[in-house]
Amino acid sequence: MHEFSVTSQIVEAILKEAGKHNAKRVVAVHLDIGKLTFLGLEQVRFSYEVLVKGTILEGSKLYIEEKDGIVNCRSCGYEGGFQYEDDPIYHIPTPTLRCPNCGETVEIEGGRECTIRDMKLLISEDDKTDAD
Amino acid sequence: MKDVVEAEKGEIFDIELDVNILEANRKLANENKELLQKNGVQAIDVMGAIGSGKTSLIEKLVQNLKGKYRMAAFKGDLTTTIDAELIARHGVEVIPINTGKECHLDANLVKKALKRINLEGIDLLFIENVGNLICPAEFPLGSDKRIVVVSITEGPYMVVKHPFIFMDADVVVINKLDLAQAMGVDVKKLENDAKTINPKVKVVATNCRSGEGIINVINALEL
Repeated sequence: MHEFSVTSQIVEAILKEAGKHNAKRVVAVHLDIGKLTFLGLEQVRFSYEVLVKGTILEGSKLYIEEKDGIVNCRSCGYEGGFQYEDDPIYHIPTPTLRCPNCGETVEIEGGRECTIRDMKLLISEDDKTDAD
Repeated sequence: MKDVVEAEKGEIFDIELDVNILEANRKLANENKELLQKNGVQAIDVMGAIGSGKTSLIEKLVQNLKGKYRMAAFKGDLTTTIDAELIARHGVEVIPINTGKECHLDANLVKKALKRINLEGIDLLFIENVGNLICPAEFPLGSDKRIVVVSITEGPYMVVKHPFIFMDADVVVINKLDLAQAMGVDVKKLENDAKTINPKVKVVATNCRSGEGIINVINALEL
């Protein structure tokens, strides 16, 4: 829902970091985005392409790793993925807070992140180097 | 001194970062929570679709809890203060928060509003979010409890269509109970849908115009 504003904060943070290293170009950026955020990856990619135009990020490769939701059960100690609701009414499988092991309510431990994991910078423009 | 390590010409630098973009709001939300707790104020976030009855619910809660708590309310809205005035007529302080075009409140707006009230003068704060069942779930405000209001007139699929917000709810209020028969909506089904997603959520059916069920909301909130 808020991909453009979130992506614009991402681009800003990258430009700031790249500036510290006197980078000529940013070649690649790696994001971790949790499945429980309300960020659509397609919209993040689109916003990124628009926002990087005319900056040293233009032409960079954007890698997004989608992080699974992780829950923790205080009752039986289960830690792992969600139990998904398999009712056919859900076209997209919907996670529930029910423990897949014992049925008690679980706490959310992971899946809400939106993190810039790392980036590759080109320090000189002389070589034309592609990202991996 | 040892030589400084520098990149060769054209070398690619791999910079490890750990910048969490959504963390900024969460940090502010925690600060709000600490400030409220320090002043002994319990805050309740009221979320739900446009026209579901969030303001009516707060009005009825204020009427019923008047003798017990000193209350105030923040009222999120895009452009008007209509709802803020509805709550204020019950004699509580209301700070309207107009978001302009934003579809949800965020921790920063709540932080600003917190500066405008005397926290020592209240024990209970209602924060009514902008009418929306999607975005408010992404932006915690620093409240102790979160209510999601759904109403019968929104139809039988409101919960399954917007499952994520129910994960963050402590109490679900199913409002406009008096219209269930006319709308052909099964209240029990709505309740089960909410409990499937979040087994520990408390579900209460109300008619916020007549006041039916309000006492159950108060009990569910442990007020």
